[in-house]
Amino acid sequence: MIEQIIFIVISLFTLMMGWIVVSNNNLFHAALALMASFLGVAGLYVMLDAGFLAMAQLLVYIGAISILIIFAIMLTRRMMQTEESPFNSQPGLAGITAVSVFAVIAFIFWQMREFWPLGAGEGAMPPADKSIILGSVAKLGEYFVSPDAFVLPFEVASVMLLAALIGSIWVAWPKTEDES
Amino acid sequence: MEFQVPTINILLIAPAAIVAGWGVLLMLIELFISDEAQEQWRQIVPGLALVGLALAFIQTVGLWGYDGGTFILADGHPMIVVDNFATFLNIIFLLTGALTIFISVDFLRRTGLERPEFYMLMLFSISGMMLMGMANDLILVFLALELLSIPLYIMSGLAWPRTDSEESAMKYFLLGAFSSGFLVYGIALTYGATGTTQLPGVMAGIANGGSLALAGAALLLVGFAFKVAAVPFHMWTPDVYQGAPTAVTAFMSVGAKVGGFAAMLRILIIALPGLGDVWAPALAVLSALTLIVGNVVALVQPNIKRMLAYSSIAHAGYILIAVASAPASPDGVSAALFYMFAYLFSNMGAFAVVIAIERKTNEGVMLDDYKGLAKRHLGLALAMAFFMLSLTGVPPTGGFSGKFFVFKAAIEANLIWLTIVGVITSAISGYYYLRVVYTMFMQDGDGEVAAPEALKWTVGFAVLVTAVLGFIPGPWFDIARQAALQGMQMVAGG
Amino acid sequence: MIPLSWYLLVAAALFSIGLYGVLARRNAVAILMGVELMLNAVNINLVAFWRYGRFPEQPVGLAWAVFVLTVAAAEAAVGLALIISIYRHRDSVVAEEMDTLKN
Repeated sequence: MIEQIIFIVISLFTLMMGWIVVSNNNLFHAALALMASFLGVAGLYVMLDAGFLAMAQLLVYIGAISILIIFAIMLTRRMMQTEESPFNSQPGLAGITAVSVFAVIAFIFWQMREFWPLGAGEGAMPPADKSIILGSVAKLGEYFVSPDAFVLPFEVASVMLLAALIGSIWVAWPKTEDES
Repeated sequence: MEFQVPTINILLIAPAAIVAGWGVLLMLIELFISDEAQEQWRQIVPGLALVGLALAFIQTVGLWGYDGGTFILADGHPMIVVDNFATFLNIIFLLTGALTIFISVDFLRRTGLERPEFYMLMLFSISGMMLMGMANDLILVFLALELLSIPLYIMSGLAWPRTDSEESAMKYFLLGAFSSGFLVYGIALTYGATGTTQLPGVMAGIANGGSLALAGAALLLVGFAFKVAAVPFHMWTPDVYQGAPTAVTAFMSVGAKVGGFAAMLRILIIALPGLGDVWAPALAVLSALTLIVGNVVALVQPNIKRMLAYSSIAHAGYILIAVASAPASPDGVSAALFYMFAYLFSNMGAFAVVIAIERKTNEGVMLDDYKGLAKRHLGLALAMAFFMLSLTGVPPTGGFSGKFFVFKAAIEANLIWLTIVGVITSAISGYYYLRVVYTMFMQDGDGEVAAPEALKWTVGFAVLVTAVLGFIPGPWFDIARQAALQGMQMVAGG
Repeated sequence: MIPLSWYLLVAAALFSIGLYGVLARRNAVAILMGVELMLNAVNINLVAFWRYGRFPEQPVGLAWAVFVLTVAAAEAAVGLALIISIYRHRDSVVAEEMDTLKN
């Protein structure tokens, strides 16, 4: 019971902060709400016994990506406080699209709530026992370096990161007229 | 923990690894180039990039006929598959890269855009495309797609501080990030429905997946529809193609599109054949919309690059016809492959001529600039006319053969209405393609034409291949047929 | 015990909020924040499917989530670099105002 209350509190917090991110017309406040929303997601990871991922979430999303976004907002600060509407010309259409996507997906999940895992027959299944997922972090580490698991995606991801790094430095480097 | 000798057949991954590794190597070498040597370095980088592509090409051709996989996972399915399908597509990607280098060297120098990083980013992007065709696991498809896209976002902004180029990069980036959100959500739902991300495993589990699997497949399709620019997910294409430097436009109009179709075909045929009676009609509708919107809007474009952007949307529609007929026709996939091969040469050739006419970045790309081209440079005008005929689908060109096989597959699959839409829209497309021919031959105008040797040879090569594909398509179609995925049969073997 | 569908519903709601942000906001940074919310929602899905799935002993869902995290970081880096570069020349990153390409 307590678990469920905690879950509801964390989820509502995450979603409310998410709503602030997309609706607040002060971008800086939106970025702070984004950090709070990321924190809420980290809380959900903890509830799912994925402590490692919660840490990664803190480090990468809150520690790096959010800070990067805040940097970008401050570097382009004239747009931070604005009286203009934060929305483009079609918030209504956007709202309808978002609500209908949610409705369709939620309907599907609702249909499936009694059948989990799929094909296992009726009755909602509890999550696997904690003893089964013990040591999954060590296994995750092995996965990333074993050829019979994910070493190839791992390498592809590293090449992609390299390309992104070189590219962003190249794009954001100050350009003077005489440089070439 | 005991040490195991890894069971990797490194030769199979070699084509993609050579291309990516070559890009890294060039980057490392650049660190040691002194300021005085920068000028010479700029001169030789395109050549070095070509050498990398050639090495990968040799390795790729050597793998023709091979059927197997490597990075075998614990449950026996390989992470990447090298079969004729992958090899065929790899050849397309490597040729795209090589032709792009040939047509862009002089263009980039002339417009002051020459930077060695361009070629390195292009190599990374090509390696991503190659992995798209080989990936047998949704994780790898997703990462390969990002490896393909991220360098392209940056390359479209190559002509900074020109606003149109920056705008193109920004729009491409926002839409790309947005579409990968859909794609990865679709993959997550598929993982939830089947408990695995490997394509053969997905196929085995999809039957029990119920509506969750359907939702996953639908989101996957939306993600890919963005990438291949199918209507109604095409809004970004005209702006991005028009704003990006023409060499980059040429590269992404072929590479990114074929890359998207490569992964789409493999996922649909290998992993989701069980849902064929759901996705095939959906794709047929998507295809009809794409054909109509692409061809009709292209009619009123005075800007050649924008017109070719809408034309590339329309060509995605023709390829989609072939994909939609794949479940019911044995030649659906091979028609798609043949079409993409023919499209590569016609489109690359057309862009080569556009580059020759373009004086500065994005100047000289209006239809008016083609007036009197026949008098100024007859060879280029004739070649352009030939490419326009091929894109329209007039015999005897590669474009005609491609459309013929696509429509044949659609008729075999009983998609008569879609065939009719395709034929009618082809007739419409004749208007805007032939208008270019009319402008070149019947009207007077003047202006410089920059046609260096490399570009002339590229155009000549593209004309030659397009003509060969038009006169004797049979043997080439047999090759495409050998490369086509045979759905269920593949899974049993792989 | 919390049923799996609760997590999935929260993730779907977060995805839709992000989707709304991408479609409705004018500012490129705000659009990027919407994309980040969408990717976070996907990650909740992946971790929940791993925890409640048929193969909890194989941390495939976790590995996936790490890859999505990596991609999100790479996209954020490239996107913000583009945004800063554009802002330098025109003092605006409002996506709607980028319309020099319409004929």
